[in-house]
Amino acid sequence: MNIENTQSQMRKGILEFCILSIIRRGEAYPSDIVEEMKRANLHILEGTLYPLLTRLKNAEMLTYRWVESNSGPPRKYFSLTDKGLAFYRELEITWKELADAVDTLANKSERMSENSSLPINPQISTQ
Amino acid sequence: MKKIININFHSRVIPIEETAYDILQIYMDSLRKHFSAEEGGDEIVNDIEDRIAELFSERLKNGASCITDDDVNATITNMGRPEDFDEEENSRPSGSTRNTGSAGSFTETKTEETHRSLYRSENDKMLGGVCGGLAAYFRIDSSVMRIIYTLLIFISFGTALLLYIILWLVLPPRSMVTDIKKRLYRNPDRRVIGGVASGLAAYFNIEVWIPRLIFALPLILGFLTSIFRHAWFDMDNGPVFFTGGFGGTLFVTYIILWIVLPEANTASEKLEMRGEKIDIESIKNTIRGDLEGFKQKATQVGDEMKKQAQQFGTQLKNKSADFSRNMSTGRSPRQGIGHAIGVLFKAFFLFIAVIVTFALVMALIGLIFTGAGVLPLKNFIIGGFWQNILAWATVLLFLILPVVGLLTWLIRRIIGARKGGNYLGYIFGSLWVIGLICMLALIASVSSNFRTRAGMSEETNISAPANGKLIVKMNDLRPVIYESDWMGINWHHNAPFFEVSEDSLILNTVGIDVIKSADSSWHLRQEKLSRGNTAAAARNLAAQIDFRVQQNDSILYLPTGFAIKPSQQFRNQQVMLVIEIPVGKKIRMDRSLEDFHWFDFNRNMRDHGVDLDWDENWGNNNNSLERDVDYIMTEHGLESIPGSRIPDENRGGDEDQPNDRDKKENAPKDGYRYHKKEVKKLTKVKVSTAECNNDNEGLSPLVLFTKWS
Repeated sequence: MNIENTQSQMRKGILEFCILSIIRRGEAYPSDIVEEMKRANLHILEGTLYPLLTRLKNAEMLTYRWVESNSGPPRKYFSLTDKGLAFYRELEITWKELADAVDTLANKSERMSENSSLPINPQISTQ
Repeated sequence: MKKIININFHSRVIPIEETAYDILQIYMDSLRKHFSAEEGGDEIVNDIEDRIAELFSERLKNGASCITDDDVNATITNMGRPEDFDEEENSRPSGSTRNTGSAGSFTETKTEETHRSLYRSENDKMLGGVCGGLAAYFRIDSSVMRIIYTLLIFISFGTALLLYIILWLVLPPRSMVTDIKKRLYRNPDRRVIGGVASGLAAYFNIEVWIPRLIFALPLILGFLTSIFRHAWFDMDNGPVFFTGGFGGTLFVTYIILWIVLPEANTASEKLEMRGEKIDIESIKNTIRGDLEGFKQKATQVGDEMKKQAQQFGTQLKNKSADFSRNMSTGRSPRQGIGHAIGVLFKAFFLFIAVIVTFALVMALIGLIFTGAGVLPLKNFIIGGFWQNILAWATVLLFLILPVVGLLTWLIRRIIGARKGGNYLGYIFGSLWVIGLICMLALIASVSSNFRTRAGMSEETNISAPANGKLIVKMNDLRPVIYESDWMGINWHHNAPFFEVSEDSLILNTVGIDVIKSADSSWHLRQEKLSRGNTAAAARNLAAQIDFRVQQNDSILYLPTGFAIKPSQQFRNQQVMLVIEIPVGKKIRMDRSLEDFHWFDFNRNMRDHGVDLDWDENWGNNNNSLERDVDYIMTEHGLESIPGSRIPDENRGGDEDQPNDRDKKENAPKDGYRYHKKEVKKLTKVKVSTAECNNDNEGLSPLVLFTKWS
């Protein structure tokens, strides 16, 4: 169990949620999505984005259209479908609950460790 | 100085360094491989390519003169390598809310490490992916698994094939990635025939000559032993046997490997073949090696730099054309129903091809052997210079040539030889037609030698046996039969002759007929028959038949057959022995006539084409007299004497091999035979009692029948 693995696992779960929330705001070009996530300090490889988008598209969460560009061939711009929107809403709720729960737990254990020298459950801590 | 090439990459013309192009190509290959298992994999790769092309053109717009290694590497780092994707994705919970079908495939493979179960592989398959799944389950190379399975099919006589189909139906399909980095491939770069040996060498990390020698060994040994065999013909054939079995196995193994193993075509496959870690550095090395090999080849051709450069240019042009085509279509080599069908057909085709090849090789071997076996016989049938020429032409052009031709075609097909050998087909075809004409001419010529039939009658004096009973027996002096199963053919079971050698052919087309004598004395006549081109020739041949019968009072000894010299030739010579018995006298056919089962009592064979009308005195009844039964000549013809049969148990340890004809007639098991015969005999008795009513105790036929049965 290494830290990187756990970190990437954590990121992994919310990746789709993040992507969907970016696209929800309007049509998006994949590299713009990556840029935006980078600005939000969430670094992902661009190569990971394409499979995710294709899967979401195949699951009818996303749709795309070709937009002419002034340089070179047209580009794919993705947008949310109704199904995708519903999906996003559910994820949003889940995320809020999760964030609250994690926040509560993390802060609570922080407080506990600050306030008392003994852990609540010694058995767990030794594991 | 670096070479710069222009590629058409997703509708953009990109000037790119040659090395950078190679890196890019390898990267794209790895991506394609990675996503090939996935639904919409093509699209993903296409999108990524699109994006890369866009990045490149941006880079060029910003002032770069061409795309360099660094540019490509930077782009790849940005995009991420398949390994990175794995890492990113590898722990997604499989029960995620996504319902995108096989999207989580790679994830699931990894999590399987804790609870492995058997699946069909979706991405690693030749037919149904069963072997791929088994390989993933057992954590071995899928190619090795396929080989093992193929052998299993052979060993289990096809049961494993059934199991395969069942597994195909039962197992759920699943995309999987195996951890095996080293795989067995055929090496197309260093191949002599199929690249199997060099692939094996790469897999086991040994020198190439070792597997080659092992595969070639039976061939070499075969050559040596055949030379020895010709030198000392009667040498112990142990080594031949050894090399035969061993060599055959190796041959089959090679063919199987050839079929089963995929060819290592891309750089990453070549690396997998050698079991090296696939990263950019090692791929670079491989590419460099490829290029060096190519350069070496080019210099070996011995031409000037110009030509080399030219070739290089065209090669690269082809390559880039290839590349851009691949890029634009986004074709994935391992996906889609079309591909599956393609593989299926290929597998099927190869399977059939191998069976055909194998059969042809076997036929050729068989032909050579039987040819050698029939060779001494040939002299008896074919005579004269022209017939011999025709015979050889037939054998070579009509029989052996097509085998050679088909083999050539198959081998060319399998190794993917270029076309342009059309004239070869014409040559083969016309030679075969010549062979066909030769065969027809030969058949016509030979059959003309069998056209007419003639015979001659020869009276032999026999004296009346003292007790009024003649026993017909085979001469006790059996001929020495050197090889009864000569060349694996049981001559004397099926053929009208039982022994053949260089200088004589012994025929046993002998029939015996027993008829009523016109006067009160015994007579023995031999009707000698033969076929020939003309009646005179046939009669001449018939006259030369030497069938000497000896009498020792009541016993008539018949020779085992009659010999024919090559000068006489085989023209279906036959001897019909006609024994004339006065009324009231008895005759008995000894069992020895039956024991020598080649001694032909059944006249079916002989009757072919025989015109029996030319002597109305014989050929009307008693197609086969039963052996060891006394027959008595009455006014109405021969009658068997019931109860005269010597029971089997009284004959001591007499061998009792039922002969072929018996098998055909009533297929007796040994225990049943006696019984059956009795029944059969009784039906005869029934008739005779109905007719004569003279030789039993006044029982009605029905009672008699029941009594004996």
